Amino acid sequence: MRSILLGIVTFLVIVPDLAGQEWIVPDDKKGKLSTFQFDENTKKSGEKIYSVNCISCHGTPGKGNFLKLVPPPGDPATDKIQLNRDGELFYKVINGRGQMPSFKNALSSDEIWHVISFVRSFNSSYKQLIMPVITSSAYPGAVIKMMLSYNSSDSTIVLEADAVKQNSSVAVTGAEVKLLVHRTFGHLQIDDIKTTDINGKVAFKVPANLPGDTLGNIQVSARFINEDTFGSVSKDTILTAALITLPVSLVAERAMWNNVRKAPVWVILTYSLGLLTALGFIGLVLMKIRDIFIIGESVLKDSEKINIT
Amino acid sequence: MTTSHSGSTRYRERVDSVSKDILRNVRFNQGFILWMGFLTAVLAVCLFAYTIQLRKGLGVTGLRDITSWGMYIANFVFFVATSLVGMLISSVLGLIGFKWVKPIARIAEIIAVAFASIAGLIIISDMGRPDRLPNVFIYGRVQSPILWDVTVVTTYFLVSLMLWFIPMIPDLAIAKTRLNGRPAFLVKAYELLSINWVGHKKQVKTLNEAGRILLILIVPLAFAIHTVTSWLFAVTPRAGWDSSIFGPYFISGAFVSGTSAVIIAMFFYRKSYKLEKYLTDFHFEKIGRVLALVSIVYIYFNINEFLVPGYKLKTLDEIHLKELLAGEYAPLFWGVQLLGLLIPVILLLFKQFRKPLPMVVIASFVLAASWLKRYIIVVPPQAHPFLPVQNVPVEWIVYTPTLIEIAISVAPLVLALMIITILSKLFPVLPIHELAEEETLAVDGHETDLAHIDETAVYNEEKKANNN
Repeated sequence: MRSILLGIVTFLVIVPDLAGQEWIVPDDKKGKLSTFQFDENTKKSGEKIYSVNCISCHGTPGKGNFLKLVPPPGDPATDKIQLNRDGELFYKVINGRGQMPSFKNALSSDEIWHVISFVRSFNSSYKQLIMPVITSSAYPGAVIKMMLSYNSSDSTIVLEADAVKQNSSVAVTGAEVKLLVHRTFGHLQIDDIKTTDINGKVAFKVPANLPGDTLGNIQVSARFINEDTFGSVSKDTILTAALITLPVSLVAERAMWNNVRKAPVWVILTYSLGLLTALGFIGLVLMKIRDIFIIGESVLKDSEKINIT
Repeated sequence: MTTSHSGSTRYRERVDSVSKDILRNVRFNQGFILWMGFLTAVLAVCLFAYTIQLRKGLGVTGLRDITSWGMYIANFVFFVATSLVGMLISSVLGLIGFKWVKPIARIAEIIAVAFASIAGLIIISDMGRPDRLPNVFIYGRVQSPILWDVTVVTTYFLVSLMLWFIPMIPDLAIAKTRLNGRPAFLVKAYELLSINWVGHKKQVKTLNEAGRILLILIVPLAFAIHTVTSWLFAVTPRAGWDSSIFGPYFISGAFVSGTSAVIIAMFFYRKSYKLEKYLTDFHFEKIGRVLALVSIVYIYFNINEFLVPGYKLKTLDEIHLKELLAGEYAPLFWGVQLLGLLIPVILLLFKQFRKPLPMVVIASFVLAASWLKRYIIVVPPQAHPFLPVQNVPVEWIVYTPTLIEIAISVAPLVLALMIITILSKLFPVLPIHELAEEETLAVDGHETDLAHIDETAVYNEEKKANNN
């Protein structure tokens, strides 16, 4: 009874709250477009990203096998998703809602566009509109470049942003930047969002315990927060800025999950001693049965002797 | 000297009369043949069902990804549980010194041997590829409760077999000269199995020592066998299994199912083997108290098992408990708890219900409920997997045993009944020598000095007479 009530409450509260309400995307975000043409490569890359990040809830596009959540995630091949404009899809992936997580830190802008490229491949009537490369509105006509370097003396990653126009270059100042480290799943933001100084520089403090690979390398990327002002500029690079981490195999040491040769000593001892004790007593009893047999044999022999005599 | 002599004469007379009553049933009569024929026919149907499973795989059962342990494992737990009664009766009650367990001890051991020997087979029926069974031994991991279970079940079976056999050695010696008209192989078997027993003082002493070692050894072994069986469940983090009292919970439950099985067997032997003289109302009254006691202990563990998680109500426990106490499994759960535990305990508190007939009815309910209780322990906790399940047919999520599965699950019971039948038709079901001794003791007021009872002389005399 309580579960029925709970179900009704859930239906009345959550369903109209999310599923009933349109997912409104701010008008200024709706028109956002990819700066590059979707092609076979972007589709393939998008499929890969989709199968890691999206498939668990949205299912295989076209199969309708999405999770039965409230509100339902929907199949990307259907109108529910396809009737969104590119900018709306981009916004929704970036921000998330309810049970859909935000992919702000997990995927780069380009990666999200690749996913949209893959999703659009299920829509034969889709015609892509491309936005010309955003050059910075703050530095018209200039190409903004980022440089990342590691300063080992104070364990910081230093970003330097310059706007290059023809042969002259000026520092990009007052730009908010964030630094991300690539992980197996998603990205980890390092330090806070910071603003470039008058030299166009900003330093991110690297945590002392940040694990790197076997050489201490990490893959970092930096992005401007305000892409409309500074353009969709990002920088991916590998820096030797973290701890050298030698991965230890999970089956290297004695453990419950390991094979029998690497079983914990206490388990081996408990099992073996327990078994040996039981078998020892069983052996003792068998010896006693043998004794009974031998005693009987000698008694019977004697009695037969008596009978003969 | 005269008293012991007259004692030994009286003992001899008692042996004669007791063995006449008990050995009367050691024969292959028409009833035995019909009964075995019926069991064989049922077994053939079960085996046919198993050949289907063997050919087509476990897909013919209701077992799927979500509920991968079903009726077979419930059956296995029930068999292991029931076999535990051998320890309770002969060892715990026997060692405390209750004399009334003497005629029941061997019945309990027969049940222990039959149920323990079949338990392992049930596991094989739960394997899709039984040909890979040797891998359990070749690649067995000492960390795995499965290997512990194989080890303790085998050891417990061996020790139960010895506990059935060793106290029977004097009976075999007594019986071997009294088997006129029985098949020659049986006489030969008695001759061999009585291992030269002549009742010599030293033999009696050695036999008692061996018996005592086994009676003590079987206690930790029996605890191990059912605790390990409970660990098969309790070492997982699944709600409904993730419990630190699963060991004692299982053991107390095992005493309930085992004791009720012994009561049913006692009732059957009393009627069918005409042993009213030895399995008296007094014995039923006593074992009825035992059933009430172990049931109360089991109720106590039940309260612990459901009240503590019910108070904390962790999310997964809540789902499981709701399903069990008020959901899909509620009728089964409350049926089992009321008809198989609570009401039997209340009835058994009254003397008029501790009589053979009411008790066999009560015990039948308790035993059936014990089986269903294992089903409740095994199946419902699996119905709520940790990860959401999508896009699978409903029969993959909701477990329903198939007809083939039910038929295969009947086979172990048939096999156990066959073993019980054969053991009780080939060998005396009650301890002749102990019953005779007990009655002589009642008359003489002291134990018979068995050294004065020369079974050998009797044996030689009869052999001589036969030769002539």
